[in-house]
Amino acid sequence: MKRYGTLGTVGWQVLICAIVLSVWQWGYDLRAKLPWLVPDLLDPYFISKPSMIFDNFLIQSCLTSKLGVFNGWFNGEFAKCLARNENNLWAATAITLKNTFFGFVTGVVSGFVAGLILGRSDRLSAIFQPFITAVNSIPRIALAPIIVLAFGIGDMSKIVTSWIVVVFLVFFNTFEGARSIDEGFTNAARLLGASEWQITRTVVVPSTMAWVFASLTPAISFALIGVIVGEFIGAERGIGRLIIESEARGEASGMMVAVVVLMLVGVVLSAIIWRLQAYLLRWQRQRSAE
Amino acid sequence: MSALETSVPTSLRASADRRVEVKGLSKSFQLARTTIEAVRDVTFDVRRGEFVALLGPSGSGKSTVLNMIASLIRPTGGEILIDGKRVVAGKATPDVGYVFQRDTLFPWRTVADNIGYGLELSGVPAQERKARIAECVAQAGLKGFESAYPSALSGGMRQRAALMRTLIVEPQILLMDEPFGALDTHTKIDMHEVLLRIWEREQQTVLFVTHDLGEALTLADRIILFSARPGRIKDMFTVDFDRPRDAVKVRETPHYAELFQHIWHSLGEEFVKGRSA
Repeated sequence: MKRYGTLGTVGWQVLICAIVLSVWQWGYDLRAKLPWLVPDLLDPYFISKPSMIFDNFLIQSCLTSKLGVFNGWFNGEFAKCLARNENNLWAATAITLKNTFFGFVTGVVSGFVAGLILGRSDRLSAIFQPFITAVNSIPRIALAPIIVLAFGIGDMSKIVTSWIVVVFLVFFNTFEGARSIDEGFTNAARLLGASEWQITRTVVVPSTMAWVFASLTPAISFALIGVIVGEFIGAERGIGRLIIESEARGEASGMMVAVVVLMLVGVVLSAIIWRLQAYLLRWQRQRSAE
Repeated sequence: MSALETSVPTSLRASADRRVEVKGLSKSFQLARTTIEAVRDVTFDVRRGEFVALLGPSGSGKSTVLNMIASLIRPTGGEILIDGKRVVAGKATPDVGYVFQRDTLFPWRTVADNIGYGLELSGVPAQERKARIAECVAQAGLKGFESAYPSALSGGMRQRAALMRTLIVEPQILLMDEPFGALDTHTKIDMHEVLLRIWEREQQTVLFVTHDLGEALTLADRIILFSARPGRIKDMFTVDFDRPRDAVKVRETPHYAELFQHIWHSLGEEFVKGRSA
């Protein structure tokens, strides 16, 4: 890695983290001496503190009791703690992840198929174009209350909310990709005897892939947003539910734990997409090496 | 083959050694509100196994003629027969291979998978495919690059791979649209060698579009000279150098210089006309 100055890139990153965390942890303590310097926002009542967030994380994840004593694995305290709270951090994360996954997969698959069909058919795209533009103009998240009303407070409403935000994103990217295929490729395939279906499979799909992948990283974030909003509106379990409960108790550290978990989940999911993309679009990487 | 021959009507048998027949072909394009006449009443035949160059300045409609023969463009008038069968626009004619000016290798396939594409389409088993790809890779001098992606290759290598992708399905008729137009002079002459050796062995019927007189003389049996727009046939020349030809040495003969000068005069007139048009 290229070094900038005496601190490497990683050095700077560590320094920035240390500064932000320090200000967050101790900044508000300075308020008594320097009231003009410290804004109200640093009040731990709103944003908690790293140390409190960490303690809260240990409690919510059942690693320690509320008194800060570690829950033993072998004496069954850990299991008991999990059983007491149906929406403990682990269960909440699992359920949110599960719904995100289904919303993402259904959204990507249906958006991709629809984009491919309409992108390859001038007639169908002409017919559906005004409807798509109209529906796309609706902020999809505004539909979340209606979806919860229609599908109940169970998992299905979360999956549908997630699906509806993902599907359009992937659809539009696939559609554009399918429209912008180099005619030289389709002509070459046709002259080598490819049928329409073979052209779709061997030319249209691979050359649209770069466009589809461009939409997948935002799509995974959108899927997560869809699920969380669905959980805000009505749910029994999930990380969104954890945030709402902590807010009701006025407990900032509880909310922050959920936010940090969401951040980690988001980072991991994006990394998976990125790895998949690097593999499937490896033919593109040689170009930049040229 | 014999079954086919017996069923061919006598009227068609007369043209049995004419693989490609172009009759009164014309094409006009609508551009904005003006009609552009690209090709006007073009008629010619190509014999089985003949190497014909379509030569002319840019805008003389020679590529348009080739694309109509390839079924990529619908003619405004006239017809094209290949082995007595009418070419229908939008329907690829079996046995006809096409090499584009710009190599259209699929960037998402490796060199080997690009070359084997045509065999994959017709469902040739993987084992046989592999053997035939290896053969073509060797012929094109691409050994060691089988699993590279096209983006990693030089222009000449890409065009050789593209040529092999077309040749692997063993087309009897080869349509080539300025296939070496984007290459530098040396690479171009290397490609002429490659193409000449393949053609001497396989004896395909070749229609080769070019604006490079030297290239046409090196390769072809016959040169059809197109006039500036609207494209018409201005003249035809027989190129009677001995075969097999050496792409370098053929240019050194006095006969080459003589023919070059003779055709150059005629071609030059069209360049001038094309400039003023």
